[in-house]
Amino acid sequence: MMRHALLRALGLAAVLVTAVGAQRAPGVEILLPTPTRLTAEGPLVKARGVLTDERMRELLASGFPARLTYRVELWSSERWLDQLHRTAEWEVDVRWRGVDKKYVVTQIVGGRSLSLGAFARIEDAESAVERPLRVPVAAPNSRRRFYYQAVLEVRTLSVSDLDEVNAWLQGELQPAVRGERNPGTALSRGVRSLTTRLLGGERREYGSRTPLFRLPR
Amino acid sequence: MRIVLSTVVALVTLASSAFAQGRDTRTIAAVAVGTWNAEGTTRIIGAYDVPADKEVSGPVAVLNGPALISGRIVGTLVAINADVRLEPGARITGDLIVLGGTVRRGDSVSIGGEVRTQAELLRYTMDGEQIVADEPILGDWRPRIAGRRADRDTYTELFFVAARTYNRVEGLPIGVGPRFRRTTSWGRFEIEALGVVRTAEPIRWDRGTIGHDAKAELRVGVKNGLVAGGRLFDVVAPVEDWQLREVEAGLSTFLRHEDLRDHYGRHGVEGTIGGRLGEEVSLHGVFGRERWRSLDARRPISLLRDRELWRVNPTMDEGTVDLFGARLRVDTRERLRSPWTGGWYIKADFEHGRGTIARDVGPLPVVPTLEDVSYTRGFLDARRYTKLSPGTELNVRIVTGGQLGGDRLPRQRRLSVGGPGSIEGYDFRRSKYDDDVFTCGGIAGELGRPALCDRIAVGQLELRQDFDVRWVRTDRNDEWWRPGLNGRGQWVVFADAGRGWTVGDGAPAIRNDRGIPPLRTFRTSLGFGVDFGELGFYLAKSTSTAKEPLNFLVRVGRRF
Repeated sequence: MMRHALLRALGLAAVLVTAVGAQRAPGVEILLPTPTRLTAEGPLVKARGVLTDERMRELLASGFPARLTYRVELWSSERWLDQLHRTAEWEVDVRWRGVDKKYVVTQIVGGRSLSLGAFARIEDAESAVERPLRVPVAAPNSRRRFYYQAVLEVRTLSVSDLDEVNAWLQGELQPAVRGERNPGTALSRGVRSLTTRLLGGERREYGSRTPLFRLPR
Repeated sequence: MRIVLSTVVALVTLASSAFAQGRDTRTIAAVAVGTWNAEGTTRIIGAYDVPADKEVSGPVAVLNGPALISGRIVGTLVAINADVRLEPGARITGDLIVLGGTVRRGDSVSIGGEVRTQAELLRYTMDGEQIVADEPILGDWRPRIAGRRADRDTYTELFFVAARTYNRVEGLPIGVGPRFRRTTSWGRFEIEALGVVRTAEPIRWDRGTIGHDAKAELRVGVKNGLVAGGRLFDVVAPVEDWQLREVEAGLSTFLRHEDLRDHYGRHGVEGTIGGRLGEEVSLHGVFGRERWRSLDARRPISLLRDRELWRVNPTMDEGTVDLFGARLRVDTRERLRSPWTGGWYIKADFEHGRGTIARDVGPLPVVPTLEDVSYTRGFLDARRYTKLSPGTELNVRIVTGGQLGGDRLPRQRRLSVGGPGSIEGYDFRRSKYDDDVFTCGGIAGELGRPALCDRIAVGQLELRQDFDVRWVRTDRNDEWWRPGLNGRGQWVVFADAGRGWTVGDGAPAIRNDRGIPPLRTFRTSLGFGVDFGELGFYLAKSTSTAKEPLNFLVRVGRRF
């Protein structure tokens, strides 16, 4: 009896440790709708802890915007090759606004942006980023076995995007050229940022998928 | 009958209980939006703070928040897409409705009414001060096409700076000058006039250091439409650029002292007219006149082996040509919703050139013989990206091109295979154990190992599968090995095959006058590697030349 209680306590402790670890680890979560709503609505998707990383916060505070790109796909499990049915994609943009010293969070769906607020504290911005969103990718009425796959890519500005590199040049190099900042520092910071980004340093990708599900009869 | 009766009884009980308690049976979203839109509601956008000694009359509605309540709200508090923090002693006499946010509650907090929360975010449109909840439509959530947003931008810049690919002829070419773009309801107009400065030594006030690149483009139609443009240029251009992308060619030159491209000078004028269907398909007719010149490698710096000599930039044909052509681009790689029309990339070029050039200009100071030429050339780079399941892809690429008719191609238009980006089990332009079906005579015959093939054909196949690299790192602690190893990686298994050949002349082993050479003469290789998204490591081994040693490759970005 004593041994069973001890095992139960150890098991509970292990579950709690795992749960706490899982809660803190950065990632993306995807939750199925209730079985009766599977053909009416899509899954609930939520980012978790993606801005808590110290380096990411440092970049944000230095004026580098972060862009979170979400992609949710509905797949069916087939005998040989799985089949992709529907896809949805949206973005969340987080950037520091120097004028009023706030983090601005914007959600963009199909080119239409929705302000999620401007926040003085990074924790509040993070909370806005992590608000769960219902994605309208409902399962079609079919006897197939389906699953959802969510991928979240978090990146600072893309080096390949010339316009954004230009913004970086204006922000980093031009003040130094005008004598407003130490050119050596600006150049070394710029080279460091460019190199780390070129090598994928500020790009993270997280994935998650639901269990297989079948529509109720 | 009993079941129906008990259901009716249950429903009546539920309804009467809700009615008796004055409970609002609408959804939380409807209640929150209704309260925001109601007359008499105090509306706040952004942070809202009620200090401990303050009393506010409700209803109060907060958008985006956060709402920090330490004092007293007489009435209802609604938070939309906002978190609510209730400090110890806070009091709300009415309901607390939180939509798209969370509630954090301190000790001794008093809420007179009901607390209803829903974590799910509300997407809405503002109509004046009113909120209208969006009806979710899947079509609005389609994957965006890369570059669409940047393409819509409007700007005016007097001092725009853009660096191009680092190479052994120019060093780092930097374009500096004004640019202007206006995007309107009917289309777009843009002008760009850049002076080009090249950093490779010796730096002098001459065409080796200074160039220009100016263009103007008018687009009629926002999504689909017609495009007309013109360009004046004096630039250095690569002979072939299909094997490696710009960043890889530049890094190889700067880091390893190895420029995997050849270059020539282009000075002239070009006009384009064509059309586009969205961002995915474009077809342009191109016409122009150019003066071509041969260029020597200069002395740009490199991180490794900086004291060694650069590979000679092969001599090119020199002269003036009139060019007419067509360029087709199809890129549906971003469109994954459609399994058959999505996942394609096609680049097809057709060119007819006519002019007077001096062929095979050597390094000796002799007067070259001018020759009238008229040639036709085609080039196709077709790729298909197929997702087999989440995280598993099968990708195929076919590259073929070369002379389609007329005279022998100028050197600027000839091709080669082998090395990174084509048949990766072989080194770049080396054939120690083999016939030279890679450059068609350039390896042994000339300085700089120029590409001399009249035609080429290459096929590439790869299978990719995701794997998670988080078991070997965490985002919190592993700062020291950050570059390139974030997120997920992919195993890649690949196979390459191809060769080049001459038409009309050349040694029998490299010559083929009609159609495609027998497939048994194609050089093949197999490989395996890991791709960490923007940095990949691969091993490739030739399967058609046993003595060819194993190659190790580092690629920036995907293989293709």
